[in-house]
Amino acid sequence: MIPPIDLLLATALPLIAWRVLATDELPTSVVLFIAFGLLSALAWARLDAPDVALVEAAVGTGLTGALLMSSLRSMERPRPPSPWRARAIALVAAAIAVALASVVALLPRGALGLGPAVLARSEESGVAQPVTAVLMNFRGHDTHLEMLVLLAASIGVLSIQHGTASHGVDTAPTSSVVMMLVELIVPALVVLAGYLVWRGSRAPGGAFQAGAILAGGAVLLLLTRRMAPLSLERQMVRMFLFAGPVLFFLVAAVPLGFGGDMLEYPRGWGGSLILGLESALTLSIATILTMFFPQGAPAPRRRG
Amino acid sequence: MRGVPWLELTILAPLCGALLGLVLQRAVAVLALVSSLSTAVASAGVAVLVARHGTIRRSVGAWELPLGIQLRADGLAALVLVAFAVVGVFITAYAMVHFEPGSRAARSFFPLWLFAWTGLDALLLSSDVFNLYVTLELTTLTSVGLVATGGDPAALSSALRYLLFAMAGSLLYLLGVALLYGAHGVLDLDLLGAVVTRGPVTWGALALITCGLALKAPLFPLHGWLPAAYASAPVPVSALLSGVVGKCSLYVLVRIWLGVFGVPLGRAPAVLIGVLGAAGVLWASIVACRQQRLKLLVAYSSIAQLGTIFLVFPLMGRAAFAGGAYLVISHACAAAAMFIAAGTIEQVVGHDEIDRLDGLAHRLPLTFVAFALAGVSAMGMPPSGGFVAKWLLVRTAFELHEWWWAAVILIGGLLSAAYVFRVLRGAFVPAPITETIRRSRASDLLALGLALLALALGLAPDLPLALAAQGAPS
Amino acid sequence: MPPWLAYAASGVSLFAVGMSALVLHGEVMRKILAANVSASGVFLVLVALARRAPKGPPDPVPHALVLTGIVVSVSATALALALVRQLRHGAQLGPSDERRR
Repeated sequence: MIPPIDLLLATALPLIAWRVLATDELPTSVVLFIAFGLLSALAWARLDAPDVALVEAAVGTGLTGALLMSSLRSMERPRPPSPWRARAIALVAAAIAVALASVVALLPRGALGLGPAVLARSEESGVAQPVTAVLMNFRGHDTHLEMLVLLAASIGVLSIQHGTASHGVDTAPTSSVVMMLVELIVPALVVLAGYLVWRGSRAPGGAFQAGAILAGGAVLLLLTRRMAPLSLERQMVRMFLFAGPVLFFLVAAVPLGFGGDMLEYPRGWGGSLILGLESALTLSIATILTMFFPQGAPAPRRRG
Repeated sequence: MRGVPWLELTILAPLCGALLGLVLQRAVAVLALVSSLSTAVASAGVAVLVARHGTIRRSVGAWELPLGIQLRADGLAALVLVAFAVVGVFITAYAMVHFEPGSRAARSFFPLWLFAWTGLDALLLSSDVFNLYVTLELTTLTSVGLVATGGDPAALSSALRYLLFAMAGSLLYLLGVALLYGAHGVLDLDLLGAVVTRGPVTWGALALITCGLALKAPLFPLHGWLPAAYASAPVPVSALLSGVVGKCSLYVLVRIWLGVFGVPLGRAPAVLIGVLGAAGVLWASIVACRQQRLKLLVAYSSIAQLGTIFLVFPLMGRAAFAGGAYLVISHACAAAAMFIAAGTIEQVVGHDEIDRLDGLAHRLPLTFVAFALAGVSAMGMPPSGGFVAKWLLVRTAFELHEWWWAAVILIGGLLSAAYVFRVLRGAFVPAPITETIRRSRASDLLALGLALLALALGLAPDLPLALAAQGAPS
Repeated sequence: MPPWLAYAASGVSLFAVGMSALVLHGEVMRKILAANVSASGVFLVLVALARRAPKGPPDPVPHALVLTGIVVSVSATALALALVRQLRHGAQLGPSDERRR
């Protein structure tokens, strides 16, 4: 019998999602989206996926939500779609959802996929946490490419935004309470990030979670004007930004010179390599995620 | 005993160039050229390896299946790899001429293009269905960034439209992957191909993956984002997208169909894709004839050519497969040549309106010759790569007694002749030479080189076809 | 019904809700939100599939896939929002530039 909380969560999520997308006002939608994200994190926790819950809360909900909020400058005039179109699409979508759900119900129960293989070999990978082992070792190629996706997206964002001076986030002058809070929170975030990277080999944690948390701290500093906007002109920013991808490139390329495979870690060095790689990646991820936010002096407030 | 790791080098060479180009921004164009030449050499290495030894497999991280990810180079991958690398070198050289050295556009273009190339080579060599998702994302997001380097509102809004379509496509694809993994517990294409059987789960995964890739390829009628994106992007970007990077999703679709779904599910879905492709050929060719702007005309021509490639699905067989591969590489050369020629025209006279090109051929002879030669391949006239490709497809259609596919191809060819001649007709009208035009010879030579390549593919098809046949399905 | 199946069905519903909103609504911000909701749906399906064995550790591979997916998703969202902001900025500067879908 299914536990009531799972049933509740599973039913609540699509309903809230529908509200998120059907609300007329965008700021309300974004706030509801953040609430939706927190509920999703709860669902991940119920499904024994603490790594995913961490990343979802930090990146998927936290940073994405903040990004969405920072892009809501003026109120968009809602253009409600025609009711017939809405009904037609809803009908088609419902039919597709039912079809897909029945397909999912036909999937083999209790099948474990690659899980046993991973758990059997995780010792060799150098880390005890299986998700980290998959991400950083067995399927490191995916993680390498994903890091490049992040980097390329940040280059794209910078290229799109360049040349517009007034591209900052709208902020009202911050109260002293907020400033004090920031002074307390940000150092704690830095410590938490470091802890997550270090623990990532034995427990849920790792580069993405840590990077997202660091980015959160950086964005707080940006919003309260305690930190200058990140620009590629600054040496420090460039070092942080490229640390991860460059190290990943070296880890991928160097084994080829010794007759090995791409991304082949020498036996016994897996753990240390992964830790070093994750630390560098944390810095790069944090920098990139922060740079996704509009940098620069805020534009004067406009109405409507 | 391991030889030179050519496969990995095709992925790492452009990546190295991209990273160096970001660090040493002043030398980015030169670094890009060096990187592109190295990638071309590495791609040639892969082709030689495959020609000698058949399909090559390498693992990443030295983990064997099903735990790790494998790289796989068969004849098709090797052929496309080399062709794209050669076209890539040409376009890189053209970009060096087109962009102001040191300009913001140049500093964004080259790294983004090299990242796209990294994703492209990783995609061509990947043998893992989730890894294909990540490589697709890399090529797509960099493409969006490339379109947006134009900077003007038209480029930005078409980039945004493209991105939204692409996001939808990726999610459909990913859900399909989830179903496949849920059913079979493996992500490798070869392993999946061995265990996939007919059933609702397989149908569901096929539908999702195909719809997702159809949004990105694009397949008629989901192509809405393409004309605006190709027409408003900077010329090197249009050349890249139509010739090289834009073919990725189609490639992945072919791979997954061949490797995973082809056998169990029979012909019906393939025929559906063929019908949509045929519709795309006819519709896009007709629309191309009515275009006012040259770049839009070439964009619609690209949609038509893509539609022709989709005809490979219902015609599946060794010859049709080779024809499709040949069409991919010939169109890569021809489309790039056409866009570069269009770009030169636009740069010289300040517009690309077809009706106002009278007499221009006398002032820009090489440009229009390049356009015409590329048009020969697009039309499918001998001697060109396009002709060889279409002939293989038509022959297969007749062998299967399904002459209507052949009719579509031939009508498409006639229509493309119509719009190519429309462009050339006005340009070759005699007109008094009013003033001499100063422009760079280099772009004309590059366009001409690409167009001649498209023709050369028609003159010497044996070697490429033999390569494509390595590991091809029967 | 085992819990994983309920979550998987929920994920499929999320995916459908998101996709239909993506197609239906005209405003770009809403489309971006819809894509994110849809992505959450796909991720939920994957994580649910990892939890099919009622006891013992869950399958770590879908977790890794979802982590990758979240990162890719945020990259795409950030790129989309940068384009939106830039288009809006251009529209504010020049009244003749109309922001399109």
